[in-house]
Amino acid sequence: MPRNETIAELGLDEYGYDFVTEDKPVFKSRKGLDEDIVRQISAHKEEPAWMLEFRLKALKIFESKPMPEWGGDLDQLDLDEIYFYIRPQDRMEHSWDDVPDEIKDTFEKLGIPEAERKVLAGVGAQYESEMVYHSLKEEWEQQGVIFESIEDGLKKYPDLFREYFSTVIPTADNKFSALNSAVWSGGSFVYIPKGVKVEIPLQAYFRVNAEQMGQFERTLIIADEGSEAHYIEGCTAPVYTTDSFHSGVIEIIVKPNARFRYTTIQNWSNNMYNLVTQRALVEEGAYMEWLDGNLGSKLTMKYPSCFLVGEGAHGQILSIAYASDGQHQDTGGKVVHVAPNTTSQITSKSISKGTGRASYRGLLKVYEGATAAKSNVECDALLLSETSRTDTYPYIEIDEETASIGHEATVSKVGDEQLFYLTSRGLSQEQAMTMVVRGFIEPIARELPLEYAIELNRLVELEMEGSVG
Amino acid sequence: MKIDATAGGAMRLIDPERALAAITGLNEPETLRQARRLAFERFRELPMPTRKSEEWRYTDISSLRLEDYEPAIPGLNGDRSRGSETTGLDELEAVPEPVREVLARSRERSGVWVQVDGVTVYHRLDDDLAERGVVFASIATVARERPDLLEKYLYTSPIPEMEEKLWAAHVALLSEGFVLHVPRGVRLPTPIHTFRCITKPGILVSTHSLVAVEEGGEATCIDEFMSPDLPEPAINLAGAELFGGDGATLNYISIQRFGTGVKHFGLQHVTSQRDSRTVGVNISLGGDVSRADVTSHMDGSGSESEMLALWFGDRTQHFDHHTLQHHAAPSAHSNLLYKGALTDSAQSIFRGLIRVEPDGQLTDAYQTNRNLILSDKASARALPNLEIEADDVRCSHGATVGQVDSSQLFYLMSRGLSRRQAERLLVFGFFDEVLGRVPAEGVRDRIREAIEAKIGQSGSSVGSA
Repeated sequence: MPRNETIAELGLDEYGYDFVTEDKPVFKSRKGLDEDIVRQISAHKEEPAWMLEFRLKALKIFESKPMPEWGGDLDQLDLDEIYFYIRPQDRMEHSWDDVPDEIKDTFEKLGIPEAERKVLAGVGAQYESEMVYHSLKEEWEQQGVIFESIEDGLKKYPDLFREYFSTVIPTADNKFSALNSAVWSGGSFVYIPKGVKVEIPLQAYFRVNAEQMGQFERTLIIADEGSEAHYIEGCTAPVYTTDSFHSGVIEIIVKPNARFRYTTIQNWSNNMYNLVTQRALVEEGAYMEWLDGNLGSKLTMKYPSCFLVGEGAHGQILSIAYASDGQHQDTGGKVVHVAPNTTSQITSKSISKGTGRASYRGLLKVYEGATAAKSNVECDALLLSETSRTDTYPYIEIDEETASIGHEATVSKVGDEQLFYLTSRGLSQEQAMTMVVRGFIEPIARELPLEYAIELNRLVELEMEGSVG
Repeated sequence: MKIDATAGGAMRLIDPERALAAITGLNEPETLRQARRLAFERFRELPMPTRKSEEWRYTDISSLRLEDYEPAIPGLNGDRSRGSETTGLDELEAVPEPVREVLARSRERSGVWVQVDGVTVYHRLDDDLAERGVVFASIATVARERPDLLEKYLYTSPIPEMEEKLWAAHVALLSEGFVLHVPRGVRLPTPIHTFRCITKPGILVSTHSLVAVEEGGEATCIDEFMSPDLPEPAINLAGAELFGGDGATLNYISIQRFGTGVKHFGLQHVTSQRDSRTVGVNISLGGDVSRADVTSHMDGSGSESEMLALWFGDRTQHFDHHTLQHHAAPSAHSNLLYKGALTDSAQSIFRGLIRVEPDGQLTDAYQTNRNLILSDKASARALPNLEIEADDVRCSHGATVGQVDSSQLFYLMSRGLSRRQAERLLVFGFFDEVLGRVPAEGVRDRIREAIEAKIGQSGSSVGSA
């Protein structure tokens, strides 16, 4: 299929490749990674001794583990060419004028407010509606909610932090969780006290002194018994950054009868390797939901997980992936049923366009003793071009007699009958296509907060422009 | 490594040089000797698969030493009394009793082949089919009389990397294989039925079934594997290469009913040409370890491939099915239905891939795996995979793991059935979806009986409640 001119002009597919910033004299660790750099990071952050030890141990584990041979192609990822630490205040090296017109244009089309655009483009450190944030913060503080940067969390709540840090995702879980454990920087620390219900979603970029999302963000969230909250990270609009590698670790503990939802929408520029480990420990009667949207990056490998360790726990994973030209979205979800009467549901929708490749990779594991566990997985893939590719790689491991497990996946293109019907009603071919695609992702889009859903729909419209013919 | 030539003539692969000399010194045509030589070298080069490989993640054969088994190759130890010629073997006296029983039940067979511990003991083909040009003979015989057939078909199937080691062993140590060649337009009215029996522990039997049906022809081939319970392990490597020519119809049914002790590795490869229709069925009931690698290559447009399997595991049986539906041509259709029931501490793995190449537009491909778990110690693994590189396709897969449906059970019991009767009925109902599609009527009843016998033996609630 010939590349669509409009989309190319918009640059949704390939912004930021040849963007050059003026090299100002700022603090950067040198390229590559060794013990000295880890020590420097820890010293800069004035961390306690145990954290330095933790980091150094993680570095050893990282070095000992081989690169994964499954999933996406990591051959082009050269870890020796990466700066593993740049102080946040030194990251803002470019100005609004440097931001490519295509990106600005996309912001315009998405209707994103001026102030927010600067944050997204990496030229403003602070969200301007600080007033909004402050009133929210006051309300949260009255409820006892802690919502801090991960660094401040460690400084202000050392005991709480240490009790939970790295308990959900052990350092040695995988090569990239080990890397993150060695060089983490940035991210959030959240504690929701017992019984507290937070009405307004906690959004990462509302945080005071919000740093740009770090390359190696680390987030730790504890939702105490009976609490309820929704955390939102990222946004649907393209995020512009000069980094090419992002490897986060997100740990969530959902205590008995708590409800927690974590929403990520990533739309990194197309040079980004995005390798993230996200996992929640879900205790008795608790409910955890991951809503995971992957629109950008060159390669994303991300499988949000729920470990259902308490009786009656429920895990829900909604995943949406959009792979355009040159992109590989290797995403999905994992659920591990350890306790009786646990239930889970994974819904995945992916769209591949141009030379894009969307892969669903998932694990469903039921241990013996997780009696009457129930799980259902549904994966739907939509192919928009002859050159697109889609894969489905689910792992289903069942050791419990009374478990009831289902997995279904379908692959299709936009149906001729659907298009015929819609065009017979007066829609153009393009409008009809867009409508079908929007209908396809609707079960997930409707779960998003309104403003995100609107952005997502606009984005789909932009991506679909000129995709017919 | 030594060839243990002193111990009762039994050869093992401990000394590679001597083993190579022995298997290439067999009294058989040069092409086969050459195939053995190359395969043996390949076998020595390749490591045994380990659980690090995705395809062997759940079945650990890294400690399986094929060298420890005695290859059952006729004539290997200078014993020329029974060579690989297969004429004059139409007396039933050397046929094991269980096979005779099966043969006695129905006479509707176009041809029969019986092999015991790698040695052919009985062989016949209907005269009129022979007159019409159907070839049904040992590979060695065909090598002499129709070398063109072997050149065109033998060992030509694409072998997946994960299987190479076992395939190399299979070719190097081939006991004896048969060729069934059906010429253009000839239709076999009834099935060809072959039996491969193992009676001795400690041996490695390698069989090959080459079935090629030319344009517009039709054939059904039933490959049946049997043994008594063995006190010590034995290995069975069962290769099958199936070729459906343009518009041909080819049905292949493998029935694995080994006793305990046998480790069975089925290596089946189907290649389909334009508008052909193939049905491949795998019934796995016996053995300690039973692995089947089944690939279906739809190379011709409009070809149709139906892939069916059922397994019923008890004790600590381990079943592993790997499948590939490979759509390389447009407008092909494949439909896979694999169902397994497990009781006691049995385990099963299903890993299937639908692969649609960029040229496979207008593909219709379906893949369904259903697992019924009947005891608290049984476990099932399902890995249904899709890789799609064409956009105008219809593909779907589904996998389920669960118990007997409690409301169905309740219904049947409310009608006066005991729990045990009700459960048995539901297990049969579960299998019937596969059995009903097996393209050979006589086989269906026998499989039902075999399952019934097995349910009767198992220690689960289905068996003994």
